[in-house]
Amino acid sequence: MKVITPIKKTLTFIFISFIVIISVIPFIWVFASSFRGNAEIMSSVSGFPSGLHFDNYVAAFKIAPLMIFYKNSVVVSIIATVINLIIFSMAAYVIVRCKFKLKKTIIIAFSLALVIPGAALLQPLYNTLSATHLYDTLAGLIIVYAALGMPTTFYIMMSYIQTIPYTLEEAAYIDGAGFFRTFMQIILPLTRPAFATAGVLQFLFCWNEFQFGLTLTGDKMNRTVPIALYYFKSSFASDYGAMFAATVLVTIPSIIIYMLMQKQIISGLVSGSVKG
Amino acid sequence: MTKNRKWIILFLTPGIILFIFVFLISIVLLVGTSFTNWSIGSSISFSGIKNYIYLFTKDKDFITSIFNTIKWIALQSTIHILIGVGLALILAKSKWYTSLVRTVFFIPNIISSAALGLLFLCIMNPQFGMVNNIITKIMGEQFVHNWFMNPDTAFFSVTMTWLPYAGLVTILVMAEMASISKEIYEAASIDGASSFQQDIYIVLPMMRNIIGTATILAATSMLQKLDIIIMTTGGGPGARTMNMPMYLYNTALVDNNYGLANAQGVILIILGLITLISVRKIYRMDKEH
Repeated sequence: MKVITPIKKTLTFIFISFIVIISVIPFIWVFASSFRGNAEIMSSVSGFPSGLHFDNYVAAFKIAPLMIFYKNSVVVSIIATVINLIIFSMAAYVIVRCKFKLKKTIIIAFSLALVIPGAALLQPLYNTLSATHLYDTLAGLIIVYAALGMPTTFYIMMSYIQTIPYTLEEAAYIDGAGFFRTFMQIILPLTRPAFATAGVLQFLFCWNEFQFGLTLTGDKMNRTVPIALYYFKSSFASDYGAMFAATVLVTIPSIIIYMLMQKQIISGLVSGSVKG
Repeated sequence: MTKNRKWIILFLTPGIILFIFVFLISIVLLVGTSFTNWSIGSSISFSGIKNYIYLFTKDKDFITSIFNTIKWIALQSTIHILIGVGLALILAKSKWYTSLVRTVFFIPNIISSAALGLLFLCIMNPQFGMVNNIITKIMGEQFVHNWFMNPDTAFFSVTMTWLPYAGLVTILVMAEMASISKEIYEAASIDGASSFQQDIYIVLPMMRNIIGTATILAATSMLQKLDIIIMTTGGGPGARTMNMPMYLYNTALVDNNYGLANAQGVILIILGLITLISVRKIYRMDKEH
């Protein structure tokens, strides 16, 4: 026992250090490099910049229309999140509280969406959106994102609504409130935490999504932020400084949201995945 | 209840429409056109299972992409899970660094994988990448590689972009561990079980379901990895790091061979279902639900 403890402690220390290093160092290095000139990037061994150069950021905005990408990402993420929350909180409420014939079928159908790898849907969705003139539009992207986030939101909402005692709604009905009013005035205020949880997950999903954004838009006026990185990778590979800057610009919003909403994100991931 | 009928329909319709538009139509199209000869500029014609026969007998790169995908599924459902669960067991003993490490470890999972891909492309860059800089300093110039482009190191390099990042596994397992009552630990230590024995004989068996869930998520995530591959190797060199999503993307959007791409999509879904069912079987997850 006494011999094992120091070994165990050392192993634990090495393991934890490894975890922290692989999670932090790459980010710090890229962040630091984003402030260095191209010449310095190519020659310098150390990760720390000699001074603060914002040239890379200026260059990044010049190379790709980043402002447009940012605007698109914000618009798509917010609208897709709102639509997703409204539609699937309503569906979840009815599924939890009402009895009707197709209930099982709908739950199974909504869960099936979980087991379909996104890549399988790339060509069919491209096809559907082209046929409905939604290809290369933000609206098309919004519809697709709102639907792709369906299983997670649906499960988070269902498991939360299940915890609300039915007596509250019963009291509302006795007081003469209708179905819709009960939902709006009793259920919605009570499910606010679930909205925060599902909302932040959905937002992050939209913000980070890459493959559908790449496939379902064509013109650079309709692209989102993650696609900007593809831009930097493919067409302007020589300006590494700008590439670093672009990586930072894409990553920072996700990290900030994560830091602010960590609690909601974790509880959402737990309830969203345990059910599935 | 009957008078609520119109509300039920009203509340469900938007969700169902969205489901039909994005999922149902896609799946019908996918399966239907996988039996056709259909590429850009030509009209669709029924071709039976010709696409499937071609993929499995003539298309070497597709076979490689299946094998690579399966290798990654296997690695992800073993090593990745071990790292995540191991860390959860350590952190659950509430050390001073618990919340810090858990927070930091999840960062690579929360950012866009496209960004993670580009980040790795930078740090493993042969000329200025951090990895080569460190290797040069410690071991000397001769150990330096062009990590993503060298056929010998490409697979390893791509694997490293996701294999160690088991933050989600850690978070899921830790959340479940929080629900174990303190009395169980107390009873075990009164019986003389060391903390290691407690982990092995008490905690892990109780975690079976959540580890199964985490394994399903980790394994099936390997069927989704288009973004990192496209940002780093694009499946190359040769087809060393080709996976099924990347190959499907190339077939559909570069070659514009839609029928063939959709046959690959069907195979991708089937592989996903096989993975899901096997993990559930292995972890005996069917009984609980």
